[in-house]
Amino acid sequence: MAGIKALVGLSFTGAIGLTFLLLGCALEQYGVYWPLFVLIFYILSPIPTFISRRVSDDTDSSSNACRELAYFLTTGIVVSSFGLPIVLARNTTIQWGACGLVMTGNAVIFLTILGFFVVFGGGDDFSWEQW
Amino acid sequence: MAGFLDNFRWPEWECIDWGERRNAVASIVAGVLFFTGWWIMIDAAVTYPSQEQMNHAFHTCGVFSTIAFFMINAVSNGQVRGDTYGEGCLGRTGARLWLFIGFMMMFGSLIASIWILFGGYVVPKKEVAPGLAVFFQNAFIFFSTLIYKFGRTEDLWG
Repeated sequence: MAGIKALVGLSFTGAIGLTFLLLGCALEQYGVYWPLFVLIFYILSPIPTFISRRVSDDTDSSSNACRELAYFLTTGIVVSSFGLPIVLARNTTIQWGACGLVMTGNAVIFLTILGFFVVFGGGDDFSWEQW
Repeated sequence: MAGFLDNFRWPEWECIDWGERRNAVASIVAGVLFFTGWWIMIDAAVTYPSQEQMNHAFHTCGVFSTIAFFMINAVSNGQVRGDTYGEGCLGRTGARLWLFIGFMMMFGSLIASIWILFGGYVVPKKEVAPGLAVFFQNAFIFFSTLIYKFGRTEDLWG
């Protein structure tokens, strides 16, 4: 295990990211909760990588079509989580300030998820028993 | 004068080993382009909901581009050359035909989107933003397909 400190640090940044998201919804001058739909994208984003690691046994550096498809889909989910607030703001469903807060929260959350993969997911002995 | 740039070299980026990361970078860039294209179209559909501003049939171009993306990228270059282990469902000729049809759909959608932009928006002097959205969606999906197909290497031994 890479350590309790990393875990605590990542959970802190995750909480900060969710705080930004909720600020974008719950502040008095905003007040609408449509941006919470990006939570779907947060939950979906690690799934392609998990599936590709589970399905393929090789973790070496050879070209791996399944892993590349997982990167493609994960990038798409990340782009979608930024696209949704922009579309909502252009449609004046939410305000641009809320959009900015949501996008900041997105960035922090995705860095947290990336941090989880870097700290806890890498290495040849990736196995489900780590959980 | 003739060769004065011969000794010019780009600055070295030694922190990143491009050789091993090339496939991952290509996949990520292709993903960004593809989904940005779709979100541009979603934005246009939300901002211009009426049939006069943006005819709903224009979504067809994006749908065919997406189908073409998956057709083109379903076939690996090895299958087209004929040097993979198994035969695949259709064999080498089938793989070539599949790729051909996929590229035709992709080019057709791109040309259609350019036609829509100029024929439906620029010439009649309507507000051009929905036409631009259709065009950019298909252009982005087109470049995403190219990057995903040709930006990755298939060297099995790294």
